[in-house]
Amino acid sequence: MGGRAGGPPPLSGRIGQIWRALGALFVLLVFVPPLLLLVSGSLTEPGLPPSPTPRLIPDPVSTAGYRQALAVGGVLRAALNSLLVAVVAVPLSVLVAALAGFALARLRPRAAALVVVASLAALMVPATALLVPRFTIFRALGLTDTLVPLIAPALLGTSPLYVLVYYLAFRALPRDLYDACLVEDMTPMGIWWRVALPLVRPVTAAITALTFVLTWSNFLDPLIYVYDRDLFTLPLALRSLSVLDPTNFPVFLAGAVLATGPAVLVFGLVQRRFFHHDDQTGRNRP
Amino acid sequence: MLAPYLIGLVGLVLFPAAVTLALAFTEYDLVNPPSWAGLANVSELVTDPVFRVALTNSLVFALVAVPLRVLLALGLALLLHRRSFGARPARVAALLPTAVPEIAYGLLWLWLFNPLYGPINQLLRVGGENGLTVLGRTPPQWLTDPTDARAAIILMSVFTMGETFVVLLAARRALPADVYEVAALEDATGWDVFRRVTLPLMAPVLALLVVRDLIASLHFSFVPALVVTDGGPPPYATTYLSLFIYRTGFEYLRYGYAAAATLVMMLLTVAAVVVQWRLFRRYRAFYRL
Repeated sequence: MGGRAGGPPPLSGRIGQIWRALGALFVLLVFVPPLLLLVSGSLTEPGLPPSPTPRLIPDPVSTAGYRQALAVGGVLRAALNSLLVAVVAVPLSVLVAALAGFALARLRPRAAALVVVASLAALMVPATALLVPRFTIFRALGLTDTLVPLIAPALLGTSPLYVLVYYLAFRALPRDLYDACLVEDMTPMGIWWRVALPLVRPVTAAITALTFVLTWSNFLDPLIYVYDRDLFTLPLALRSLSVLDPTNFPVFLAGAVLATGPAVLVFGLVQRRFFHHDDQTGRNRP
Repeated sequence: MLAPYLIGLVGLVLFPAAVTLALAFTEYDLVNPPSWAGLANVSELVTDPVFRVALTNSLVFALVAVPLRVLLALGLALLLHRRSFGARPARVAALLPTAVPEIAYGLLWLWLFNPLYGPINQLLRVGGENGLTVLGRTPPQWLTDPTDARAAIILMSVFTMGETFVVLLAARRALPADVYEVAALEDATGWDVFRRVTLPLMAPVLALLVVRDLIASLHFSFVPALVVTDGGPPPYATTYLSLFIYRTGFEYLRYGYAAAATLVMMLLTVAAVVVQWRLFRRYRAFYRL
């Protein structure tokens, strides 16, 4: 993966290798157990007295937590709502980001710089700082307690970062390509859809995945905009599970596993791109 | 083609920011239309002990958690940037907690930190007697002792430094190899290489990431404080600025007052952005951007 080009010559050869391997092992030992415990906790029989010793595999293994979570918390309904939001918001968001990124790449540098700076500023604003004003705006529009405020961030490309990523990707395409398209009398829309977009397919894949993860995990927006139980998304249903009975951990952990599953799965599919994104020149490829 | 995004940018970020500014000088409870309150909110903020505690908590949290997060991310990036046995799964593992939905992650730690049947304290009690650790001390009361609760929130947030880690990993790989070859020729020790070569070369990226994380820390303390410690233990040990704003607005329905507190948060953000901008300008020549 890493390749030799970027790395220093091995520090004291074999011994360095062994230390690095031990280090990697240590990292695994620290970062993996919490997630294993999440699964193991969710498979514990609800209502049993806590075992005196820590154990990774619960005894007995039980799926009662899952059944209760599905029965009590309306988790299924919430999962459907989450899916609905994701199905609408994710394609819309990727579309907005790709269009905006392309437009920025084709814009005069001065105008593009202005939007880039505004995007960077928007990227900096902590999400909690926008809670109150956004809420009052949606409230004035009569859109609270609907799923609209949960889909609205798609207009921002979910995160301005993705617009900037598209901007960089489209800017990296050779200028001759655009000139050739203009000679062919293609419209900007046509160039975007038929020429530019197919060339940045890996970027689209990664951004789609990340947008899904962010949308699926969004907790803050549903928390303030949605009160109707029938409109709860999965993260919100999880919260109500834990508020309902904070001591019955197998139930809310089961819900947490159900919410984590899709996010981690999608994330796993694209994680290699994060570690390759400095490799676009190909010089670091083994 | 830019239009939808510009609408989003203006409608969801710039306009709300302007609304905050206006709202901060009003009383608004959703039922009655906003009424002008002048500087009443601001003067109340200055004397509000809870706000002061929340602000202090947020700043302390940022000053402790951010260095820990960045140091961990840097350590991991330097350890795992090369191909070695186990490096690939370790990289993925380090990134995984960042992929877990915030709320699920919060609930996981709510259980892990449970003083009685939480795995962390179970582990600490192994070998000890009567609920004490091996050293004969009471295990940390994560959710009831103010200091332990703050430590718990920091511990939780240290694990989610995945984004910083990815950026540092990329930054480390982009460093030129020849510098390291020269260092090796001069028989530099590992520590020398780190201090004289790696650190100076990565300083710009590190500085930008630190500022970014400082701003983000205003936000990522919110869910843990809401879900795991509920802002407590009393009095307000883990009530951060974000939680204060949420409570004031959405629980006590004082939107004007919450907007005034939001304004403080935005001022902190602006200050950090200015610092970042200056850093960026300074390193611009360096990166030939």
